[in-house]
Amino acid sequence: MTWTWFHRLASPPYIYTLAARLTPWFAWPAGLLIVAGLWGGLVLAPPDYQQGDGFRIIYVHAPSAWMSLMVYTTMAIAAAVGLIWRIKVAHAVAASCAPIGASFTFAALVTGALWGQPMWGTYWEWDPRLTSELILLFLYLGYMGLRAALEDTQRADRASGVLAVVGVVNVPIIHYSVTWWNSLHQAPTVMRLAKPEIAASMLVPLLMMLLGFTLFFVAILLVRLRGEVLSRERSASWIREVVSA
Amino acid sequence: MSRVVTRIADSLVQTDTAPSTQTPAGPDTAQASVLEAARLALARDLRLAFRKRDQLVQPLAFYAMVTMLFPLSISPELSRLREVAPGVLWAGALLASLLALEFLFRDDAYDGTLEQYALSGQSLTWLMFAKTAAHWLLTGLPLALMAPLAGLSLGVPAAALPGIVVSVAVGSIALSLIGSIGAALTLGVKRSSALLALLTLPLSLPVLIFGARATQLAISGGPLLAPIELLAALAVLGLTLAPLAAAAAVRISLE
Amino acid sequence: MNSMSRFFEMGGYAAFVWPAYAITFAAIVLNILWARRSLARSREEARRRLAARGEGA
Repeated sequence: MTWTWFHRLASPPYIYTLAARLTPWFAWPAGLLIVAGLWGGLVLAPPDYQQGDGFRIIYVHAPSAWMSLMVYTTMAIAAAVGLIWRIKVAHAVAASCAPIGASFTFAALVTGALWGQPMWGTYWEWDPRLTSELILLFLYLGYMGLRAALEDTQRADRASGVLAVVGVVNVPIIHYSVTWWNSLHQAPTVMRLAKPEIAASMLVPLLMMLLGFTLFFVAILLVRLRGEVLSRERSASWIREVVSA
Repeated sequence: MSRVVTRIADSLVQTDTAPSTQTPAGPDTAQASVLEAARLALARDLRLAFRKRDQLVQPLAFYAMVTMLFPLSISPELSRLREVAPGVLWAGALLASLLALEFLFRDDAYDGTLEQYALSGQSLTWLMFAKTAAHWLLTGLPLALMAPLAGLSLGVPAAALPGIVVSVAVGSIALSLIGSIGAALTLGVKRSSALLALLTLPLSLPVLIFGARATQLAISGGPLLAPIELLAALAVLGLTLAPLAAAAAVRISLE
Repeated sequence: MNSMSRFFEMGGYAAFVWPAYAITFAAIVLNILWARRSLARSREEARRRLAARGEGA
């Protein structure tokens, strides 16, 4: 009895209408939080005593980096659920995650490089965090490449699901090994992307941005999910209702 | 259970004109028959590989050529080459092992052997383990044995060679295991080599990092046990998880 | 308007701060556009499938 919600969530028509209904509830708070976070981060927060106004890149870099990992984890959990319980909707969630995560991983890399130039004097430093982001981008590209190479949706779902689970097991190992490697070669004079000594007026906008980006991810996921669910249903009668609307 | 072993043994006989060393079907326990099936699969892969020698030689030749690119593109000075030797040796081993991955399942997918394995009722995980073990014996181990030659050509001192052999041998276990997942996932994909590289290389980077570090320490005469232990840890983790994932991927490809 | 131009100068970091914000907002806008397009495409496909079966909308 307690599992009825689970079964309902696995039902495509239910999830389609639910996703459509929920989207604005995530999209509007996301928009408001991001605008407020921008105002707080760009205008209200004082310049960092060390990095001046350059530190303001944190308000876009940190949320992008957070998205890259959070979305990958979500993708892997959804894929595992899809593989274990053979739930199509879970696979649809996983498939929806990849392009979102990849785009924000790319943004995290570029903003990291743009932050690096004033702080390190070079756009690219083999900093462990940037290197991990780069590897994460390749993991996303591999996932999307595998999906694109397999024509049958069901097979693409399950094969890419195995890859996502294998990938998420590897992410901490990769991160650890990259940190280890970097600690061997790090010249002590190079300044890392240091977390600035953070005052409340700096921290609050950052938290708003993190939450705003997270809600934005859910909103985009819900929109994509509807498309993925539709494309997985061949001839169900509920499609006629939602499509003709 | 022994019926299953016989069926796999039959597939061995079909592809193999030499008389197989088939054990008489007895009242095996399930565990023994699993190991027996894996042993037969391993023996079959080794025998087939020795018949197609080009597949054995190509990755080694590739490794030698990749090594040769660096003196020609950087400098013939051994002192400078010695500095980049860990990177060259490991990037070369990674790429050569990747090149050999395409042979891992390809022929077996074409001639239906994989399907037979999956339908045999025998643990596909153990059969994948056997195939990966064969792959390591046929590429990882030869690469490890060839690494000293490549190392000498890059000015690596002779005292460093045993450490290099051990690190490549241990690291390539992990490489074969990671690669078996990628090769199983791309089964049936046309022109899969670029995709296989894209799937496998990011997952192999920890092996590259620890392996190159071990090689570096071997060259400088430092204590290289720690990175080799890390390589062994990766290999053990791979041993427990990769055959499961590869078996799942093979099943998916057959559906 | 002096404070406005000071704001846009970002204490000399304008060349880094603004492109970083631009690329992130490009990611946000593109995600919105891509998601909408992929949903529209799936709906169109579903509609065509139904029409092909002679029971279309």
